[in-house]
Amino acid sequence: MLKPVIVLAAGCLIATGAAANTEIIGTVDSKCIVISETPGIYGNPTPNLLTTDPSNGGVKPIIRYDVISAEYYKARISYPDAFSTAPSLDDVVNWDGSVTVSEVSNTDMSGYDDNKVTYNNVTEYDLTVAGSTWFTIASEADYGSNKSLPAGTYNAVVEAECIPL
Amino acid sequence: MKRLSLVLAVLVSYSSYSYSEEVYGSTNNASAAGLNWVMTNVLPQFAGLEINGLVYQYTAVKDPESDMIVYVQNENADGNGYIFRNADDWSGLPGNTINKAFVIPNSLGELWGDGSIQIEGEGSVEDPSVIYTYKYDTCFDPQADPSCPGYEEIVEVPEIPFSDPLEDQLVLDELNRQAQIDREEEEEDRRRRQRESKIKDALENLLGDGSNPELLSAEAEKMALALFSVNLPTDYYSPLEGGEYIETVILDGGDIQDNQKARRANFAQQVLHQQMVDSQYGSDASAQQEK
Repeated sequence: MLKPVIVLAAGCLIATGAAANTEIIGTVDSKCIVISETPGIYGNPTPNLLTTDPSNGGVKPIIRYDVISAEYYKARISYPDAFSTAPSLDDVVNWDGSVTVSEVSNTDMSGYDDNKVTYNNVTEYDLTVAGSTWFTIASEADYGSNKSLPAGTYNAVVEAECIPL
Repeated sequence: MKRLSLVLAVLVSYSSYSYSEEVYGSTNNASAAGLNWVMTNVLPQFAGLEINGLVYQYTAVKDPESDMIVYVQNENADGNGYIFRNADDWSGLPGNTINKAFVIPNSLGELWGDGSIQIEGEGSVEDPSVIYTYKYDTCFDPQADPSCPGYEEIVEVPEIPFSDPLEDQLVLDELNRQAQIDREEEEEDRRRRQRESKIKDALENLLGDGSNPELLSAEAEKMALALFSVNLPTDYYSPLEGGEYIETVILDGGDIQDNQKARRANFAQQVLHQQMVDSQYGSDASAQQEK
């Protein structure tokens, strides 16, 4: 009489021991936003040169970084080293450029330029202060050895990233 | 008929529809002419205007090693303290262009006094820009527009031409008539005083020496003569006739005896008086008396 009871009890244990999975959902909003405020324009002061220098008819592009949480991100900005679209070119293009902090929303950001890291066409900034920072990019393309650029439309891209540390 | 009434009601309600509108805007650069500005010259002059935001930008030019603090500020309209003040501390930092935006809980524009950018330390500010954003209700004053809720029709006040009462002929006539009456009354008064003066003079003459008997009736003249015939004293110091009154009482029987009862009573009163005096001066006086 005892065994059936135990068997029955085991049967009950098996019935109540069923597994279940539940889900946890979380959403992370970026605390760093990159906004292209001003698109750049190349000026063409000489046949072989395209430049964003305002004195030569160009416009420097401006990118704004909005950081809500300080010291969690770094900005990586690359000035162009190639045209994204352009007429067919049969000679070398020499690229040059720079990235500088042009506006800040906090005086402590004015030290960013002193602490930036530059390599190749890339400039990196540690975003150590919450707020908005405006970066101005300069770009220049010199074609061949004083060779005239073919007529047409030239496009180049500035890459701006916000990289979590 | 019902449909017509409904249409009329809709038309009437449509024609009397009123609304107010909130208008949003932003000022020009308040610091375009310098680092100090007067808010009444910056904000549009609308009743109930409220400031809801402020954006400023400038470029700090300085030596990275030097100390510099830049204040962007607005005084209270009453000149006591600041309604807005923000400090940018550039000390030990390289200069740059700073751009800041502030959201301000709707604040009455009339509370905002003059603004300025103040620099403490070494350095300067270039290309400053201070812009205020604002809003106002077009019907803050319901009388501003007939379409505003609460608008009340203005009662036309009839224009009454001004006329100088002193140029009105009726008034002038009345004034002249009153002036004539005043003159007549004054003349009558003068004549009355003159008559009274004459009567007074005549009476004085009559009562004086009676040299004008023709002014009185015969009876009065007699009375006056009788009055003046009384011999009045000519001197207040007339001598009085005096004399001597001789003693006429003669005592019968010789000496007058002393009244013993009267003496005792007199003595008793004297003792009582002395005791009363002594009681005022204490035991010394009593001792002296005992001596």
